[in-house]
Amino acid sequence: MNMKLNLGAVLALGLTCTTAFAQEMRAPEGPIEFTVGSAAGGTPDVIMRTIAQIMNEEGIVENPIVIQNRSGAGHSNAYNHVLGLPGDENTLLTLASPVFTTPIVQGTPSVIDQITPIAGFVQSELMLLTTPTSEWTGIQDMVAAAQANPGAVRVAGGASGGNDHIATGLVEKAAGITLTYIPHESGGAARATFLGGNVELHFATLAEGMEQIAAGTAKPLGLLSAARRTEAGVADIPTLQEQGVDVVYTQFWGVGGPPQMDPALAAWWADKFRQATETQTWKDGLAANMQLGNFYALDEAKTYFAAEQDTFRAVLTQIGLAK
Amino acid sequence: MIEALLQGFSVAMMPENLLFIFIGVLIGQVVGALPGVGPAAGMALLLPLTFGLEPVTAIMMLAGIMYGGQYGGTLTSVLINVPGEASGVMTAMDGHAMARQGRAGAALAIAAIGSFIAGLGAVLAVAVITPPLASIGLKFNAPEYFLLALLGVIAVGSLGDAPIRSLLAGVLGLLIALVGVDPLTGTPRLNFGIPALYQGIDFIPVAIGVFGIAEVLHSLERSEKVEPIRTRLKDMWLTSQDWAACRFSILRGGVIGLFVGIMPGAGASVASLLSYLTERKFSKHPERFGSGAIDGVAAAESANNAASHGALIPMLSLGIPGSASSAVLLAALILHGIKPGPMLMSTESALVWGLIASMVVGNLFLLILNLPMAPVFAALLRVPYVYLAPGILVISLVGAYAATLSMATVWMCIVFGLLGWLMMKLDIPRAPLVLALVLAPLMEASLRQALLLSLGSPMIFVERPISAVLLAAVLFALIAPIVRVMRKRP
Repeated sequence: MNMKLNLGAVLALGLTCTTAFAQEMRAPEGPIEFTVGSAAGGTPDVIMRTIAQIMNEEGIVENPIVIQNRSGAGHSNAYNHVLGLPGDENTLLTLASPVFTTPIVQGTPSVIDQITPIAGFVQSELMLLTTPTSEWTGIQDMVAAAQANPGAVRVAGGASGGNDHIATGLVEKAAGITLTYIPHESGGAARATFLGGNVELHFATLAEGMEQIAAGTAKPLGLLSAARRTEAGVADIPTLQEQGVDVVYTQFWGVGGPPQMDPALAAWWADKFRQATETQTWKDGLAANMQLGNFYALDEAKTYFAAEQDTFRAVLTQIGLAK
Repeated sequence: MIEALLQGFSVAMMPENLLFIFIGVLIGQVVGALPGVGPAAGMALLLPLTFGLEPVTAIMMLAGIMYGGQYGGTLTSVLINVPGEASGVMTAMDGHAMARQGRAGAALAIAAIGSFIAGLGAVLAVAVITPPLASIGLKFNAPEYFLLALLGVIAVGSLGDAPIRSLLAGVLGLLIALVGVDPLTGTPRLNFGIPALYQGIDFIPVAIGVFGIAEVLHSLERSEKVEPIRTRLKDMWLTSQDWAACRFSILRGGVIGLFVGIMPGAGASVASLLSYLTERKFSKHPERFGSGAIDGVAAAESANNAASHGALIPMLSLGIPGSASSAVLLAALILHGIKPGPMLMSTESALVWGLIASMVVGNLFLLILNLPMAPVFAALLRVPYVYLAPGILVISLVGAYAATLSMATVWMCIVFGLLGWLMMKLDIPRAPLVLALVLAPLMEASLRQALLLSLGSPMIFVERPISAVLLAAVLFALIAPIVRVMRKRP
């Protein structure tokens, strides 16, 4: 089984490499399924529904697109479904961090090495929040507290091995401290724990974080980005890097095809995703949600995903979750 | 605020909005009645269709599916003893027993009335005291959830005639809940290398199996003797005694439901269980609970509907979904370009008040829809069971498939059907198994989260005021029966 899948991956890899230059394109026929590994309402779900709507409504893609939530088990229901359809022309897999991390945690073959990379098209920067009554004014105060009392500073986050956990691991490593990570079944549950004043730290996307800050329910300690944002209000928030904790970590989402997908088809999809992300509706959505729209297609996406996978593996190994 | 609410009504009463509220509650009623397809799944399916609508109309319709589902779920619980959702297990206990006595109509009617009154009360609470209520909800966290779930599991032992048998079933439920993935570390456990078990055993195949399929299997053994349930028209309706028995059950159920609903970690199933157990404590005839007590049905149903509305409180005021269906509602807001979060009440007040007003209207629609239909649906039971049984099997298995789109769930459903049948033969109650399965993940995850929060110290359960009260309740629930037995002995 594993052998066969790996062979497929090599094959798919070979095919994409040879035809990437030609950029020959071919449209799929019939209805399309966007397989999403999160339940309806999760961020990957919202992203895919938004882009599918744009594709259909603005006439970019004529084929009807159905969002299929195959949630549960760290997106493995979704990716196993797509991995089981080699060469299929009507199914795409939504790529979110669990697609990368679940195989690492479970010790199963990498998914990203098997699927056909199509595009990475949206990213969310993160910020580290603390409680509004906290005495800390910057990340170094938190680092000092964690150094004085290892493990006493607590982080409420989503599932074990997920984005928040990775970000926690990166901060721990960069600052040389030990934090206590408390996993929750969902990001919402983690936020409730944080807002209830039960823990000191919480990671949030910029849009979520700014809402909390505006409502006076959280205080920022810094962005996990390489540079500050330029919007008024957000521009005052320093990055962790400029405060001496060298962490840059951005959440990202993308899309891939089943193993051995026809390269002409993958190129067609990459082009369609590019068109959809160039629409005003999409750009407005990015601005409203303070997301980034860096676009990586086909081979670029492959390199980008591979680099992210390396980061995930390194951090998961460091926090002792990798198998 | 009155002004805002009136403005909300003027939005909700617009013909187009009225139409979509009606469509929403109707769909909710249907998906709620289908086991396996809950309101959350129904909402997700219809989400893309709302893109052409005004955001406020879309949200009103989707919310209609959410609470309409609570009314619909009653149907299958009462008529064929298949709870479509975890929150319907308690309704099935007494509701189906009533149906067997030919009183399905009364059970459905009181469920509709109870849901309506409690729903209306919860809507008013959402309107009047959302921000303070949300902050109460936040006072509940891991330690409190653990004790709440523990209280539920202990109480599960008291469902049925013999505590030992109930506990046996409860422990089996806890055991089943361990299969799958460790909720905190994500480590696989107890899956025996069977892919279908990797993600654990969900509530849906278990409930459909042990209730629905087991019932059909059991009936096969006595197919000659089964007579259609006799229903006389006068038994179809509520008597004045029924109403007298239920007035306060609805009130208590509604209040409990609302409070459990606002806790982001607990849900309608915990609400209906707690409300049912409270009601039995208050009842003058606790021995009738489990064998057709109408106040049991009223308590459970009003609690789950109030909880489903209450879940909107943390969603609207904090942006934290309190249930699977409110998570979809939250996604719908985002997809319609509205940013949820703590500022929503002030930035989108027209939408929020329109939604609140629409829930009043929608609950009224559901009452009008359900009351006259109760005898009609109940008349379904006049069909001899031999003809009904294949239908139940089909609905059960299709529901199981629809829940996950995987045949593995169907097989699981059949295996649990056999288990349920065995339990019926051995006279072991089935509800404790299913309830324990629902409570176990909350209990396990929150115990471990609590100990992480306290950095390992068990004192966290005593130091937090709400937690300390709950701990006292847990100890009382454990010690009281022992004391009672000791006293009886000379």
